[in-house]
Amino acid sequence: MSDEVVLQTRALSKVYRDFWGRQKVRALKALDLNVHRGEVFGLLGPNGSGKTTTMKLVLGLLFPTEGEAVVFGRPASDVAKNERIGYLPEESYLYRFLTAEETLDFYGRLFDMPADVRAQRVDALIKQVGLDKARKRPLQEYSKGMTRRIGLAQALINDPELILLDEPTSGLDPIGTREMKDMILELKKQGKTVVMCSHLLADVQDVCDRIAILHQGELKELGRVDELLTIADVTQIRGRNLSTDCQNEIRDVIARHHGELLSMNNPTTTLEDLFLDIVRDSEARPGRRTASVAAAAGGDAATSDESGTPDQPAS
Amino acid sequence: MVLERQILPYLQWLLYGEPGGMGALLRFVLVLLGVGLAALVIGFLVAALRYGFARGGDMTYRTVSGGFVELLHTRWRRVWALAMLAVKEARRRRVLIALGVYLVILLFAQWFLSTDYPEPARLYLSFVLTATTYLMLGIGLLLSAFSLPSDFKTKTIYTVVTKPVRAGEIVMGRILGFTIVGTVLLAVMALASYVFVIRSLDHTHEIDAAALKTINIGGEMRGYDGSTDKEMGHRHLIELDADRRGLAEQDRGHVHEILPDGEGYDVSGALGLMKARVPKYGKLAFIDRNGAKKDSGISVGYEWKYRSFIDGNTQAAAIWTFDGLDPNTEDESLELALIVRVFRTHKGVIGQPITGSIKFRNPETGQSSAESSFLALDQQIDEMSFARAMFDPDDNPVDLFEDLVTDDGRLEVIVQCLEGGQYFGFAQADCYIRQPEGDPRANFFKVNLSIWVQMVIVIAIGVTVSTLVSGPVAMLFTASFILLGFFRQFFLNVATGQEYGGGPLESLVRLVTQKNVMVDLGEGVGVTIVKSIDAVFQGFMWCVGQLLPDFRSLSAVAFAADGYNVPWDRVWQDLTLCGAYVVGLSILGFFLLRTREVAR
Repeated sequence: MSDEVVLQTRALSKVYRDFWGRQKVRALKALDLNVHRGEVFGLLGPNGSGKTTTMKLVLGLLFPTEGEAVVFGRPASDVAKNERIGYLPEESYLYRFLTAEETLDFYGRLFDMPADVRAQRVDALIKQVGLDKARKRPLQEYSKGMTRRIGLAQALINDPELILLDEPTSGLDPIGTREMKDMILELKKQGKTVVMCSHLLADVQDVCDRIAILHQGELKELGRVDELLTIADVTQIRGRNLSTDCQNEIRDVIARHHGELLSMNNPTTTLEDLFLDIVRDSEARPGRRTASVAAAAGGDAATSDESGTPDQPAS
Repeated sequence: MVLERQILPYLQWLLYGEPGGMGALLRFVLVLLGVGLAALVIGFLVAALRYGFARGGDMTYRTVSGGFVELLHTRWRRVWALAMLAVKEARRRRVLIALGVYLVILLFAQWFLSTDYPEPARLYLSFVLTATTYLMLGIGLLLSAFSLPSDFKTKTIYTVVTKPVRAGEIVMGRILGFTIVGTVLLAVMALASYVFVIRSLDHTHEIDAAALKTINIGGEMRGYDGSTDKEMGHRHLIELDADRRGLAEQDRGHVHEILPDGEGYDVSGALGLMKARVPKYGKLAFIDRNGAKKDSGISVGYEWKYRSFIDGNTQAAAIWTFDGLDPNTEDESLELALIVRVFRTHKGVIGQPITGSIKFRNPETGQSSAESSFLALDQQIDEMSFARAMFDPDDNPVDLFEDLVTDDGRLEVIVQCLEGGQYFGFAQADCYIRQPEGDPRANFFKVNLSIWVQMVIVIAIGVTVSTLVSGPVAMLFTASFILLGFFRQFFLNVATGQEYGGGPLESLVRLVTQKNVMVDLGEGVGVTIVKSIDAVFQGFMWCVGQLLPDFRSLSAVAFAADGYNVPWDRVWQDLTLCGAYVVGLSILGFFLLRTREVAR
């Protein structure tokens, strides 16, 4: 992540009005944000908190009531900024009578891409999002997951520097969710800047470097995910193959130093990891899942959780 | 053929217009400036109301200045992509069903259109071309009005406007796409209708050789005469030479060629069903019954002022002055056509036409030919041929071209009605010199081109309006525009107070109070208020009238139906008008789309 600011909002506000100009709702109140090059930035908040409104203001789909959004140093209303942007809307608002190839070719043309470059890019993206076998099928025959994938492909057609993802995992099954998150991390590796908004906290936590939490149109919290999630007055100790004596000794040490032991137990994996392991195992070994296999898979899942999941608090 | 407005040479129309009028180019610029200024003021007022004067002014300035910069960034690859998208969308919306509808119309038409009609080609051509016009306008309306609103509704527009697509490209892409779809449909319909007309009217006749009579002159056999059998409600008189060759005389607007075939005859298919007469018009002036020069004749009480009349058996005459003739031509004759509107104040001899006279005069020397008489049937095209060797009133020989055409190519044609108490009515286009006929197929193409022009204008209006409002509203608005366009002249007449009954509010008052248009409303505060409000209404109507396309004038169906060639000047004028509407509406649509929030 660099210090270069690619997206900035200054006192960005939006008031929705009715036909007569009367105020209906104040969707966003004086939002100040800076998004730096190379980071994955999450806009977090419950429904109606102003996440999507922020996204639409940044894209120029809505006009601010006050303040401004600046993307790559240009006002959000400047169409030229779109040359460097990719956008995946909440629903994949694509032309359903087009095939995957036609869809990407169409969006490629909108970037004024020459035919040979376009053809190459379309082919690469279709393979990247795993739609090679369905490239000739019209989108109306696609499942929700496939539609999200072609939606992401269209967002990447111009190899954008800034990618805006509105609820990218919305409606996806766990596999699709994981693939989407992996893809976001891959984009980050490539040096892209990603701004995503979501109300699925686990997704944001998994991929975002920094987050902004919005509520009722106001910015409530802004910072690095790891810093925000760190509980300063709690220390976590994790170990493997500790005997009961060893555990008792640790308890004694904590007591001797007047600390409070909150919990000491075996960690659990996440449901997502468990599910993904089962599916992977099923793909590798088709047929009825046996107890031994289940135990092995469960063991794998438990031991694969190297990144650590917060322990259950002591009841 | 009725030609209410003279077709000016293209450059004159574009740069100068009619004498005392305004060139089309200047009019276009003025309308564009007027609309631009109005849009600027309205835009500023709306922005100022919402955001205050300073910010509103700033936003208006940015919108205008940024808008023109954006226009310069238009890329045809994007426009083409959006056009192709519109084509695919139209296909998905089963637009090809329109062809099926058209086919059904043609199939049913065969039941109702009679070939036993004085001019069957006129009936058939008028029907198919009118049907094509309305169908194409309907298709243009439906395609254009619902497309963009549908994109807004399904939010597919989000993925388009978040690409480097300029609003103008979206508007132009839609117009181009639907124009392509409409062009394909129109081409198929035009071909189908041409085949339909030709196949429906084509026929031949049988000739009973035994029934023909021999023509003997001075004991010498000169040929045969008789008639064909009755086919399609008519039979032709025939006259054959001694070699048994000849033509079946003109009936129902066509002839047949007849050749010997063994003992019998081979009669060709109908020839000359579709015509493309190329008239050369002159300038019309009148002389009244006392011999005084007038710009128009007298009124016989018709509300339609297109023709004015001369009274019979007086000095009254209609005089056409033609120019551009070649006094040194080697032509042996002058081909003239005359259409007379006969107005009778008494029956005369029942079933007999009214007699008139025609003569030629040199406008410089006053030398003239002797009068030739002709029989005038009401509204029939009388095609005459005058040999160049003529006699003057004193029976001295004169040469039509050498003696009666001036050095600068002018010639007067003087027509009079010879029967007292009867009247001849004329308009400028009622007398013309017949030039070699054009190709009827090319003429048919030009008429379809005029339909295409109307369709493109409707598409441009529909797309532009749909940038701002929902599909049904856009459709209603565009349909209103078409409707008003068909009655543009009346609309302008109301706006300029030339129609009886006043403006819209006065009209409403008259309806409610049951006062007809000729009754004076009187004076008073109420009437003053009504007339004042109408003055505002009429001002607004005048402004709208300047934007309305005159669909009646744009239609060239009458040319093909009446068998006249559509002049290329007229074609270029139509295409230029079409281009002006597309450019103007694209710019308007661009700003409308650019200043609206795409999302909700």
